[in-house]
This record gives sequence, C-alpha cells and structure tokens, in this order.
Amino acid sequence: MAAPLTDNKFIQPIIDWLDERVPLTEAIKFAGKKEVPVHKHSFWYYMGGIAMLFLGIQFVTGFLLMFHYVASFEEAYASVQRINMEVPFGWLIRSMHSWGANLFVLVLFIHMFSTYFMKAYRSPREFTWLSGLGLLGIAMLFGFTGYMLPLDEIAYFATKVGVDVAGEAPFVGPYVANFVLGSGNIGLDNGALVAGTGAIGQVTVNRFFALHVIALPLAMIGLAGLHMMLIQLQGISEPESIQKLPQKEKKYEKFFPDFIIKDVFIWIAVTVGFLMIVTMSPWHLGPPADPAAAAPLGIRPEWYFLSQFQALKLFPSHMLFFEGVHVAMVAIGATMASLVVVPILDSTGKNQFISKFATVYGIIFLIGWIILTIWGWVS
Amino acid sequence: MFPVWEVPNTGSGWIIGLTAILHVFISHFAIGGGAFLAFTEQLAYKKQDDRIYDYLKKHTKFFLLLTTVLGAVSGVGIWWAIGLASPNGTQTLLQNFSLFWAVEYVFFAVELAILMAYYYTWDKVDRKTHLKLAWMYIGVSYFTLFAINGILTFMLTSGGWNYQAGNIGDAFFNPGFWPALGLRSFIMLALAGIFALFTISRLKGMDDVKAYMLKYSAKWMLPALILGPLFVVSYLFVLPDATQQVIINGLSSIGEGNFSVMAKAIFLALTFAVGLFGMVLVGPYLNPKAFNTSFAAMCLAAGFGFMFMEEWSREMMRKPFVVYNYMYSNGLRTHEIDKVNNDGYFNYNKFALAEKTTLASSDEVGEGQLMFRYQCTSCHTATGNGYRSMTRMLGERDEDAIKNLITLMKDNHKIDPETGLAKTMYHGYMPPVVGHQDELDALAKYLVTLNTKPDTETSVAAAQVVPGV
Repeated sequence: MAAPLTDNKFIQPIIDWLDERVPLTEAIKFAGKKEVPVHKHSFWYYMGGIAMLFLGIQFVTGFLLMFHYVASFEEAYASVQRINMEVPFGWLIRSMHSWGANLFVLVLFIHMFSTYFMKAYRSPREFTWLSGLGLLGIAMLFGFTGYMLPLDEIAYFATKVGVDVAGEAPFVGPYVANFVLGSGNIGLDNGALVAGTGAIGQVTVNRFFALHVIALPLAMIGLAGLHMMLIQLQGISEPESIQKLPQKEKKYEKFFPDFIIKDVFIWIAVTVGFLMIVTMSPWHLGPPADPAAAAPLGIRPEWYFLSQFQALKLFPSHMLFFEGVHVAMVAIGATMASLVVVPILDSTGKNQFISKFATVYGIIFLIGWIILTIWGWVS
Repeated sequence: MFPVWEVPNTGSGWIIGLTAILHVFISHFAIGGGAFLAFTEQLAYKKQDDRIYDYLKKHTKFFLLLTTVLGAVSGVGIWWAIGLASPNGTQTLLQNFSLFWAVEYVFFAVELAILMAYYYTWDKVDRKTHLKLAWMYIGVSYFTLFAINGILTFMLTSGGWNYQAGNIGDAFFNPGFWPALGLRSFIMLALAGIFALFTISRLKGMDDVKAYMLKYSAKWMLPALILGPLFVVSYLFVLPDATQQVIINGLSSIGEGNFSVMAKAIFLALTFAVGLFGMVLVGPYLNPKAFNTSFAAMCLAAGFGFMFMEEWSREMMRKPFVVYNYMYSNGLRTHEIDKVNNDGYFNYNKFALAEKTTLASSDEVGEGQLMFRYQCTSCHTATGNGYRSMTRMLGERDEDAIKNLITLMKDNHKIDPETGLAKTMYHGYMPPVVGHQDELDALAKYLVTLNTKPDTETSVAAAQVVPGV
C-alpha cells in the first residue's frame, strides 16, 4: 500500500478504499512531481484553464438547453422564446451559453497569441500547437452552427451571409452550400457545380443541430484530450527569456496542489465576472426570422469572423482573370495557413532570422486581425 | 422646494450613488480596519512578535492615507451631491437629526485625531499605551457608524416616526436599526480582512509571517459568512410591506427572465459574496504561499462588487421615496399631494414658478419642460440612451397615450379601498404626478417631443456586402 497522503483519520480510509480500485495516490504523486515555471509571464498560463472553464460551462448549459430546444425550422424560435420567458432560469442558462460561446472563443484567441509569442509551439510541442489551432477552429464552427439555432432575424440572415460567402469558395464552396442548404439547392451552371438559390430551411437546422450537439462536441473532446495529454507529457513550456536563465535563478511551483488551487481561484473570479455580464446584459433574442422579408441593414457575422468578412470586402470584384472573391478567399486561407507554416519553420528556434521573423509576423498578424475586426464592426 | 440639478445621460442619482458606494466601501474599512489594527496589535503584543509589528506599521500608513484622504474626500462628495440632487431630502435629515449629525461630526474629528496619534506614535510610546490608542479608535469610529446607521435606516424604515410629533428617538432607533447595524458590522470586519490581504501580499522578504498573516486575515471573513445571512433575513423582515412585495415580485420573476433591476442587484450581491468567500478560501487560506498582489486585488474588486450591489439594492428598496412614506425622491411630501393638486404645481414650487415667468404665456412645451425638470429629473433623463431616458420609457406613445398615462400616474400613491390593492402598477415604483390639469397637459405636450418617433424608414434589402455574392 502507498504511503498515506494525510494524517486525517476520516479522509485517509476513503483514500485507501479508492486506492484499491484506482491509482489515486499514484496520480496525486505524479501531479505533485509536475512543475509549473514561475516568472513574470506566468499569468498567461491561466488562459488554458479559463478556456477549459468556459468549455465546461458550454457543455453543461448546452445540455440543459437541449431539454427545451426544438430543432425545427418552424418551432425553434418559439422554443427559445419559451426558454427565455417560461422555463425557470432558462434566460440565465441561454444567456450563459451565448455569452460563454463568445468568451470561450475570445479566451482561445488570447491563449493562442500568448503561446505564440512565448514560442510554445517549438519542438517538441508542434502537435500541441496544431491541436490548439484545431480546437480554435472547432470553437468557431461551434459558434457558427449555434448562432443560427434560435432562428431569430439576425441569426438567420447572418448565417445566410456566411453560407453565401462559404458557397463562393473555390472548388469546395458549392459542396459546403449543398451540405448546409440540402441537395435540392444545388445545380449545374454551364457544367459547373454551383450553389442554388434556396433558402436556409429545415435541412440546415437538422444539419447545424447535428453538428452542434454531436459531431463538434465529440471532435472537441477528442482533440482537447489530446491537447491536454500532450501538455501533461511534455510539461509547460518556458518563454525564451526564462529558458536562458541559469537553473538556480529559475522558480517553479508544484502543479498539484499549488497551481491547481490558483487555477480554481481564477475560475471563481472569472465565473463571478461572467455572471455579472450575463445578469446585467442577458443575451438578446430578436424578432423571428422571416425568410420572405428583406435582410435588415448592417447584417454581419459574429465578431470572430469579422476580420475575414472585412478582408473580403476590401477586394475588388475582379482581379485580372479571377473573381475578386476567389482571390480574397485564397488570400485569407493562406493567412490562416501561415499559423501552421510559420511555427513549423521556427520549430527548432535555432535560426535567429526565422525566430525574429516569426515574432514580427505574429505582431503584424495580431495588429491586422484587431484592426480588421474593429473595422468590420464599425463599418 | 429648491432648484433642480439636471445631469444629462446618467441622472443625478448616479452621481450620488457612485460617490456614496465608494465612500461606504472606504468608510466601512475605516471602522473594521480599526478593529483589525487593535486585534492584530493585541496579537503581536501577546506573541511579542516584531515581524507582526513591522507589518502593522506598514498597514497603518496605508490605512491612514486611504481612509483620511479618499474616505474623507468621498464623504464630502456625498454632501455635495445630495445637497444638489436631493436638497429637500437633505434638509429633512439635517433638521430631524441635527444633534446626531453634530455628535457624529465630533466623533469623526476625534477618530481622525486618534488615528494620527496612533500612526505617529509607533515606537515613540510603549507598546501597551500604543495598544490603548487602537482600542480607543475602535470605540470612537464605531460610534460614527452607530450614528449614521440610525439616519440611513430611518430613510427606509421610519417606523413610528411622525413629522408632526417629531419623535426623534423613534426615528433613530427605527425597526431597521439593529439588523442593519449587525450586518454592517460584519461587512466591515470582512472588508478589514480583504484590505489586509492586499497589504500583506505586498510584503517582501517576510515569507513565514506573510503566510501566517494571510491565513489570519482570511479568517476575518468568517463572522460575515456565519452570521451575515441571519442579519440579512432579519433586515428583510422589518422592511415596509410594499418594499417586501417589490422584492418578492422581483425575485419570483427572476426565473422567467422578467425580473427587476433590484432582483438583479440582489442576485449579483449574492454572487459576489459567494465568489469572494470561495476566492478567500482557495487563495490566502488554502494556498497562502502563492497568494500575490494580483489575487489580492481581485479579492478587493469582488468586495467592491458586493458593496456596490448591496448598496444599490438597498437604495432601490426605498424607491420611490427619499424618506419612506414621507418624502418622494423628487422632494414631494406625501401629505402635500392633495394641496398641490388643488393649488397647482407652480404655486407649490416657487423656483419652478420663477422660471415659468421667463416663458411666453403660450409656451406650453416650455411649461411642460419645467414640470418634467422639477418632478421627473431626479430619476429620469430626457433623451437618448441616458439613464431611464424618457425617449426609451415612452416608446412610440403619442400625445393622447401620454395624457392617459399621466392621468393614470396621478393615482400612483393610492390604494383601492375595496380591493386593498394598489390603484396603478407604478405604485411602489414611482411618485404620483401632481398639478393642475392644464399643467399636466403641458407636461404631456413636452413629453411628446421626447417620444420615439414611429419608424418611417422602409426596410431596405441588404446590399451585396462582398464581391460576387
């Protein structure tokens, strides 16, 4: 039997009982051996934990919303209205889910940029970085599919704009449109497969709902599991400036219980702030969608798609022999791909020029992303 | 009556509110922090631990600067704000409680003197004498809370007080006095602990005593955790029936999402309190070695959040009165309603009358604007997205609809004798609108200039926003 964890005569027998069935003491000792670097940038280490908190909130509130949400083009809006007005604390759960989705994506962006600038993508952590990018992509897809489900006016038309844009993507666009709108909405135009003129309908609701509650959660759990397993195996990375320090000048703290308790402290603080936002500004439900009506002015996607949306608007209709939208989408795709390529180029960290280039590129990317997002918001 | 102070966008109420909440936060620390100084110095004396003494000297400097500068300035700020925003209410409190204000002021001056003596006599007098100064500070500062608490609670639970009898003892020791005193006492002890966490977290090179002191300070939350809820409940029981009903209505509809702003504030006060206890438990109590200034600042922010919500909800409980059942928030006294309706508002309010004489006799909108300024701007702003702006409140109501609304609101204070129920849905939320019919018609004419004009724009099809789409 393992050495006792505590002197408490009430708790230790419980631990012993559990130890016979699961390797609890071993797990605790393993966690105790793990160390977290302590330095002036340590604050950014909390972002992963905060993202996990929001992911948990999304799962719990999403699960509760499913008790009342009706995935029907005709009834979805009324069911969300019932959740808001009749279901006990339904407004709170829905508001937490909607606000939580946005904050989850925001925290993931912060987490991504902070790990990028701390060069946490370097060898041997390339897969951790790539799995993190994948998680951000899934989170944005979660947002896109979930945004439409209440089927209020804004959700409907913003989704329509999103689908129209995605439908214009070279090669895959029509297939995306086909998937979202249903096969009845796709046709041939001069031999080319193009998106039809059909509107968002029951097929879209079915498919978005299936993606939102089954496919994306499974993908998220799987990828998040891999991401966290890699972090546990490889340990938490140190920024370059800390790595250079002599060992005796470096400070560490135990992952368990010291860092975990701090994580819990941050979770409580974030939850309090989150509940304040949710209560003071419950998530709005607009008028029901009317597919026959004209789209309201100023329709735009969720904030985390605004940079791409604004970039699309900056391209002219035609560029040489190409459609402007096709060139724009290739350019946007290439920019996103750079988040994979640049870290891989800098994965060894040995080439100083590439290392500096990666930092400068990250700064330009971040500033550009912020400017385009704000521009998209105000324009 | 007095002239009005019109504050665009926020309304004058928020100027008082923000100043008062900041002051309450600091002043509760000024009293609880005094207890912290005394008990902690007692601890240092008992243990003869110089490290605790060293910490206390640093803490005293912080305490002195914060309470005497920010506390005193915000206190003066309250007088300035209430004098401008609610002169009638201020006048009532001054006239009724002159003696208490005077005594409170004397004690406040003594409190400051003792604090100065306490700070400047570290290491200059023997430890036992210095400790006596701390105990004296507690007694004197607590009395200031005792005095203010009687006046504050009178405004909500005036109990057996009657303005004609002037029975000031009943006014001071009103039904809300003891529950509120108990509750505030626990809050101030908790705040003393939270502020101490902040100053301890800034200590450098005193790791062993730091951990000990963090745990010690965290325990100052315990009285509020254990006994606070009891006093909250006892306070709720002594509130006026109508206020209790407003709370019950607000909380009972919280589940359906129609809940009132007051219910939101109560819910958030509870959220901040629970969150704060959780943070203090997992922070300084369970993991003192990792507790740093950033965490301490978060605890302080949560404490301020609690105080903000608690004071905000308390203010809303008193609505629509400044002094419950005696004076409305716009300065109108309850026993003068019939007189004003008979004589006319401009004959009642000489300042409004003076301004009216500058208007052309045919300027009904101008007259209505004066009615609005004197009767409504203590709670409402006029246009835009301002606090409780009339543009938002009126919606698209036309002049007839506004006139009907005003007619209805003349009875806001009445109870139907047959049913025993309020005559209007605004009872308990708004004062009655008072004045002659022609004055009320003028008010309607002005209000219709503020309403949201029906949307004349036709829906426009969304333009193509991206190339080729």
